[in-house]
Amino acid sequence: MELIQKYLLSSLMAMLLCFSSYGTNALAGEGPDEVEIDSLAQLYDPVYFDHAMHEEVTESKCSVCHHHTLGTEIENENCMRCHAESGATDEITCQGCHSSKRFDADYLHKIDADNTLYHRDKVGLKAAYHIRCMNCHEEMGVANGCQDCHTRTDAGDKFFHAGSYTPPKSDKPVGGGH
Amino acid sequence: MKTLIANGKIPVATHYNTGKNEKLTIKDKLLLGLSLSEYLAQAFRNPLNWLFAVIFTFGGYVTVSRFFFGLGYVTHSSYDYPWGLFLGWGLFVMVPLSASGFMLGTTVEVFGRHDFKPIERLALLNGLLGYLFAVIFLQVDLGQPWRLIYPMFVSLGPAAVLFLVAWHVATYLSVQVAELVPAFAEWAAMPKLKTAVKKTILGLTIAGIILSTLHQGALGALFTYAPGKVHPLWYSSPFQWFHFFCSSIFAGLSMLIVVSTICKKTMAWRCDKSFLESLDRLTLGLAKGATLALITYLVIKIIAIAHDGDWGYLASGWGQWFMLEMVAGVILPMVLFTISIRNNMPGLARFAALIAVLGIALNRLNTALITFNWKLYQEIPHWREVMICIFIYSLYIVTYRFILYRLPILYSWKKDEDTASS
Amino acid sequence: MKAMNRRKFMKGSLLGGAAASVVAKSKSAEASASFGGYPEAMGVLVDLTRCVGCRSCEAACNKEQGLPAPAQAFDDMSVLDHERRTSEGAYTVVNRYEIPGQDHPLFRKIQCNHCNEPACLTSCFVNAYTKTPEGAVIYDPTVCVGCRTCMVACPFYIPAYSYSSVLNPVIKKCIFCYDTRLKFGRPPACVEACPREVLTFGKRQDLIKIGHKRIQNYPDVYEDHIYGENEVGGTSWMYLSNAPFDQVGFDTDLGNQPILSYVKEFLTVVPMVLTIWPALFAGFHLLATRKDAKNKEEKTEI
Ligand code: SF4
Ligand code: SF4
Ligand code: SF4
Repeated sequence: MELIQKYLLSSLMAMLLCFSSYGTNALAGEGPDEVEIDSLAQLYDPVYFDHAMHEEVTESKCSVCHHHTLGTEIENENCMRCHAESGATDEITCQGCHSSKRFDADYLHKIDADNTLYHRDKVGLKAAYHIRCMNCHEEMGVANGCQDCHTRTDAGDKFFHAGSYTPPKSDKPVGGGH
Repeated sequence: MKTLIANGKIPVATHYNTGKNEKLTIKDKLLLGLSLSEYLAQAFRNPLNWLFAVIFTFGGYVTVSRFFFGLGYVTHSSYDYPWGLFLGWGLFVMVPLSASGFMLGTTVEVFGRHDFKPIERLALLNGLLGYLFAVIFLQVDLGQPWRLIYPMFVSLGPAAVLFLVAWHVATYLSVQVAELVPAFAEWAAMPKLKTAVKKTILGLTIAGIILSTLHQGALGALFTYAPGKVHPLWYSSPFQWFHFFCSSIFAGLSMLIVVSTICKKTMAWRCDKSFLESLDRLTLGLAKGATLALITYLVIKIIAIAHDGDWGYLASGWGQWFMLEMVAGVILPMVLFTISIRNNMPGLARFAALIAVLGIALNRLNTALITFNWKLYQEIPHWREVMICIFIYSLYIVTYRFILYRLPILYSWKKDEDTASS
Repeated sequence: MKAMNRRKFMKGSLLGGAAASVVAKSKSAEASASFGGYPEAMGVLVDLTRCVGCRSCEAACNKEQGLPAPAQAFDDMSVLDHERRTSEGAYTVVNRYEIPGQDHPLFRKIQCNHCNEPACLTSCFVNAYTKTPEGAVIYDPTVCVGCRTCMVACPFYIPAYSYSSVLNPVIKKCIFCYDTRLKFGRPPACVEACPREVLTFGKRQDLIKIGHKRIQNYPDVYEDHIYGENEVGGTSWMYLSNAPFDQVGFDTDLGNQPILSYVKEFLTVVPMVLTIWPALFAGFHLLATRKDAKNKEEKTEI
């Protein structure tokens, strides 16, 4: 029993690791098959992102999602103004550049202190996912609602006053007034 | 009352009972020298009192319910129209109509026009009660009326216009009380009190002018906090305070004409000769003052429109509503006043005054409620709100009448020596 | 700086009007007063191009501020069918706008904009509002009398009133999560909840730069204007949009003057009346009564 658990755990770890500290200069087709994203963990269950499937959909053009961090040609003209020649960089993972603590005082101070920084207006990790994923889903006309990707937890239901926490029907607005 | 007088009763105007040289008690004075049963009988004979009884029963109930169930129960509790009828009518209409106090105070005490003396006290009383009930209206409207003194002593926001209004209305109320103390002192037989106040009357009057100028103007200036919300025809940043101040002059004077007319018509027994005989002349005198103010007001209204470049709005529906207010509420009374003064027609002046009063009420309601949020929807006050307004206004009328019946406002108190020796 | 001087001046002038008894208290009033335009003030840049109307921000605000349960679930999108405003139960609401010529609707989150020179603050006669150096406009319910002038004054129709309360009705509005977050340097709950970073939290001055940069980088996406950069003297919460602002429910007629400047005309009159009137009318009195006295003399002579 214990052995099996250990085995499962380490394989999960390996999976996470391979996404978060991915090796250098990855090439198309070398990506993970599945990525667990759990930055919204309290309100939603983790999302299992089918990386392999998305590679297929994008015909392995990594830069559709990964900016200039991978081998393929950059799409965005604005980025190309500087990065046309810059080639691939070491950083591949989303959170390598997009902070999960985007608005923490420390992070804001860091940006403040570094006046050589060009990408001052860089969205945080959560926004990076959502903007990337949702804009593309919208374009492709595929499912794009919150719960199409996320299963909401009980805490999430409570937060949204939905599911079993849905308020009883009433025509009166809360607290009166208009 | 008329029938009683016909039966030989004489309204109390002295400290001594006619004939018997017996000092009257406060109770006698309160009952107008009648016995309790006589007093009640005459009160029940008056159909107006029955109407008030009905209003007080229903209105009183609704008013009390406001304090038990909150503002949300009696108003539409609107976020977009935070001010409803209570302030729209109770504050913004009542206060200009009560400007008579300082106007007549100035005329008599400062300009030395003692010929206006017979009506001065009525003007002061009209002012005092108007303000008092404006404060009562305010108390109904405030979310937490028990904190009324906060702006004075607990937490001060001295840069706010309402702060000025609060302080000035409070101070002015005390000034008006002081100005009316002589009348009370005569009635209650406290001559020392009277002489004490008499000495300060000039100071009080000048204080009254300052306070009135500022808070009448301040009520207008309150709307400069909402420059985009009031329709441009009723709003002008630089002129708003002056519009309100200037219109309060003819509003106060016209209201005084209206009130004095009502007194003459309904309680002639209480008025003395000098009041009744001089009233026609005084009415025309007041009309003169009102006409001047009306002309000034009209001119600065037009200047304001020109200054802000609002001509374009005149063509809209709001523009027609505005023209109606100006023509019916300002130009018409102005013309009628002029005709009445030329041809010595006090009756016409009285009619003109009534129109001017209605005109000013319309103007204030337009500014505070009707054209407020002109870009949004129109708010119609809740029926309970209307009911409470009628209730408080009736209370105002009854209080007014109560005092007029008793204190030497419309008549002068007979000197003690005169009656004692007679 | 200019604004500060003006405000101070006005405070002085009104104090004069408030009878001598206040003067003693004026010091504390002066000290507790606040001025807009703090250099370190934080703010939020709301980018409408990113908003998908998921209402997560509404839910987060509801939880953070301990507001009553909503009438409908926060994932119920039918509420977007009607335009809503802030209320005593919701400090922030998202509205949907169909834009002519665009196939996507735009969504706009509204809440208190935390003005640099807040109209609510300047209009309050018990000084219940404070603009904190962090940029928040907060409110002290323990001194509020309930006159609701701030609701009349707010150009954005933000403050709501708990009319339903009998014993303690108070103003209800977004406070930039000051007590629980901003004070400690943390972003507001709604900012943190937004999945698409529609809401960028940062120093107001930096946000203006960021906003202009976005406009510059995508000139054919954005309207060339940051709503709130200058409106009514500038606000801490500002907006970027890809549709003309008046089509997304913004009042574009507000102008750049703080609301206080409209009140100025009256406030400058106050000290004049206070100083000139007494002398003027005392003079009138002397003139008028001298004539009286003269008349009397003449009469007696005859
Ligand atoms: S959470 Fe963000 S995306 Fe969702 S409605 Fe609010 S601002 Fe828009
Ligand atoms: S938006 Fe309204 S409530 Fe908020 S600070 Fe500005 S004036 Fe005050
Ligand atoms: S800043 Fe705080 S109070 Fe204001 S809308 Fe966001 S969550 Fe609500």
